[in-house]
Amino acid sequence: MITQRGFVVVFSGVLLLTSGFAFINFYLVLLGVYLVIGLVVTLPLFALTANLAGIEVDRQIDKVKIFSGDFVRVRVTIKNASRRHFDFIEVHDQYPETWILAIGENFIASRIEPGGNITFSYILQARMRGRYYLGPTEVIMRDRLGLHYYKRTLKEQTEILVYPTWKDVRRMEALGKQRQLGLMFGAHRTKTVGMGSDFAGFREYVPGDEFRLIDWKTSAKRGDMVIKQFEMEKNIQVICMVDTSGSMGNGYPENTKLEYAIRAAVLLTHMGLERKDLVGTCVFSDMVHGYVAPGLSMNHMYDVLEVLAMAEPKGWSDYETAIQYVVEKTRKRSLIIWMTDLEENPAPLLNAMKTLVANGHKAMVISPFGPWFEAPVGQFGPVEKVLAEAVSEELWERRNKIARALARFGITVVNVGPEDFLPTIIKTYEQAKQRGVAMF
Amino acid sequence: MKAVTWILRLAATAAFAAMAYLIYSILDVNDIWHWNAPYTFVVTVFRLLSLLFFFMTVTMVNSVASIFSGGTIPNDLVIGLYNTLILKMWYMQPYGASGPLTNLQEVWTSFFVNLWQVLGDLWNNTFLFLYFLLAGIGIALFLQSLVRMNHKFVGGAFLAIQSIVVLASYRALTVPDLTPFPTDFVVFLLQRAQLLALVSFAYLELSYQMIYSYSVGKPVEDREETLKKQLLALRQATRKQDAIERGESVRTTGMSRTAGATAFSFLREAIERKVVGTQDALENLDAVADVRRLQIYVDELLQSDSRAHDELTAKAASPSSGYIIGSTIIGSIIRFLSVVAISFILMSPGVIVVLLDLPPGILNSVEMLQPEIVLLLLVPVSLLFPFVSMIISWMSQREEPEKPKLSKEEREAEKVRRKELARRKREAAKARRERARARKKRKSSEAEKDEWDKALEDTYGSA
Repeated sequence: MITQRGFVVVFSGVLLLTSGFAFINFYLVLLGVYLVIGLVVTLPLFALTANLAGIEVDRQIDKVKIFSGDFVRVRVTIKNASRRHFDFIEVHDQYPETWILAIGENFIASRIEPGGNITFSYILQARMRGRYYLGPTEVIMRDRLGLHYYKRTLKEQTEILVYPTWKDVRRMEALGKQRQLGLMFGAHRTKTVGMGSDFAGFREYVPGDEFRLIDWKTSAKRGDMVIKQFEMEKNIQVICMVDTSGSMGNGYPENTKLEYAIRAAVLLTHMGLERKDLVGTCVFSDMVHGYVAPGLSMNHMYDVLEVLAMAEPKGWSDYETAIQYVVEKTRKRSLIIWMTDLEENPAPLLNAMKTLVANGHKAMVISPFGPWFEAPVGQFGPVEKVLAEAVSEELWERRNKIARALARFGITVVNVGPEDFLPTIIKTYEQAKQRGVAMF
Repeated sequence: MKAVTWILRLAATAAFAAMAYLIYSILDVNDIWHWNAPYTFVVTVFRLLSLLFFFMTVTMVNSVASIFSGGTIPNDLVIGLYNTLILKMWYMQPYGASGPLTNLQEVWTSFFVNLWQVLGDLWNNTFLFLYFLLAGIGIALFLQSLVRMNHKFVGGAFLAIQSIVVLASYRALTVPDLTPFPTDFVVFLLQRAQLLALVSFAYLELSYQMIYSYSVGKPVEDREETLKKQLLALRQATRKQDAIERGESVRTTGMSRTAGATAFSFLREAIERKVVGTQDALENLDAVADVRRLQIYVDELLQSDSRAHDELTAKAASPSSGYIIGSTIIGSIIRFLSVVAISFILMSPGVIVVLLDLPPGILNSVEMLQPEIVLLLLVPVSLLFPFVSMIISWMSQREEPEKPKLSKEEREAEKVRRKELARRKREAAKARRERARARKKRKSSEAEKDEWDKALEDTYGSA
């Protein structure tokens, strides 16, 4: 392949040749011949040496699973497995578009000896969750004068799984540390009086109470028999239903409804694990994409993160299939928190809720309200503004109907925007703990 | 690598100077290098313009005056007024007019006579001007090529200097030539025009080698420089944040744009997020946290891995200077010899006669002495090289078979995953169909009702 530089030589050669012919000048013809021959004379030799199959590229990364916002070092080693010199070799290692090159460069240009290798590295920041691939690597070899080149794309790719961001958890932990109250700050323990070993208080003796529970000292003081009460902490079971239908992908990039729902699910799982509660996650749209049963295992958090990392906004919300799946898998009573924008047909949603309630579960809906996640109305022109407001009102009206319908099942709908999504999920969890909803 | 680049830079400068001098000396016999040629050209242009302006002004004044004088040509008084009011104020005397005019006919006669003379002068001066202009452009581009190391400047400088010869050939001046083309190789080598062609080619060769030497070492140097700037900018940004948190006043010039912030897109983005996203305090927190986390990450990396710094700068990739010099000299000599030899073979009529069994009509014709005869061999020979290289690259294409990306277990797992996905899809679709069928059975009389109202009624009844 002739490079741009080669074409300049060709152009000059042809210009001089034609000028020589036109003005019958052998000097110009000679110079033109020099250029044309100079361009092509080394081509066979270059073709002989430029066997790019002899170039091997090896890419290594520190971690194959990282959190969104984390940094990862990519090491690229180029090896010349052939017995030839490569005078000028350019290597471009490609990385996902949404990532940021934090330190270094993903490009190198140098020469490489036979059997020799070049290693370079660069640091990337992963910005959005999901499954990504580093590569392919583009290798370009040029001759010394840069007149010809050969290009080869090495298709080897390195897969990296990017978990949802951990910054909310970090922020919450930092907040706890600042207040010197630890991780349980603000948390309410769900207690059951009667069993356990924590002292809860006294009550009057009623026939049938065990004698061993009578506190004789206090009874003597009061002059009446008093029973000493104990309590024990109970844990709750929560299942997070994350809707990944296409409409959940609306909003600013990195701040879509789905991203917030995922962040909320991560936060909820973390909080649950910290307090020994069981938190499960179900990712669904028109089918169940992933389900992690409530658990307390060591890898539970990573299982949830993996399922959430893969979530993509597509399809439509099939609430009935999702709840059917979850109900089948869940034997214990649970608090089911739906994170859905409720932009599907109402009947399936109501049927799903019926199924849920009929199986003894509790539920609530945390619903991101679409217009709050999209461009602020102030950025619109007058016509768009009116349209946006009309659409917004229409959606709001629908929501009110949904809320009224679901209220009959004792299910509350909380409309949230980007600002109050995460606080709402924390609040919901704390309230559930306080009220002892879905204890096991 | 810098030393090699400098050596080649000096060599390219010498080649350019030799090329320019040879062209200057060969064309000097035509007496074209008048140093006042650009000035003469500019003056001639202005004189032509003044002539046109003068003619137009006189015609217009005459026309206007004839309107007021009833359509007749105005008398000498008008001309007198014109001379007094216009020409007196006009310091640049029109071409051909040496004093006041008394008759309009004189103006027009003078114009037509002088116009051709001026145009002729302009034509001649244009070429003189162009020689100087091309020489100036050539030198300017050459100087640019030394600094910017871009082949466009090298090509431009070469073409600009050679264009002087092309223009001089067009003007049929004495230019470097090889007519008749020598049949003896030694005679051919010692010809002055051949030397000029060789020096010109050498200039291109050396300049391209210079760019190669620069570009093969530069990326590694740039990487090191960029990394230094990035780390410095990162350190400064972190310190600045620390100072802000401590409540100390911070100078705004903590990180100059030229010192690295511009070269450091990550940090720039973090700063912009902080500045632009003032509405969201959490975003600011994120931006600061990102910079700090990157600082910690880099510090840990450099501490834990002794090779990390060298890999980030790709220090090991820097080629040795000795090899570059050696290979440049050998490569250039081989190329020169092969190019000169092949070109002589292609151009010499004697060789063509020996190689090709030409019919007598062509052999004895004047065409054999024409430059176009070179095409007879040039075209096939110059196409032969790419053809041969194509065959070589086709034959030596040892593409390794693509390695299977997944192991057997991974493939099995993938198969199971896909099966499971398909099963779930099927089940979901089946359940949906059943639900749809069940719904259809129910009577739906209110077609126009809002779907939510309908759903509510379905759930709780019309009451």
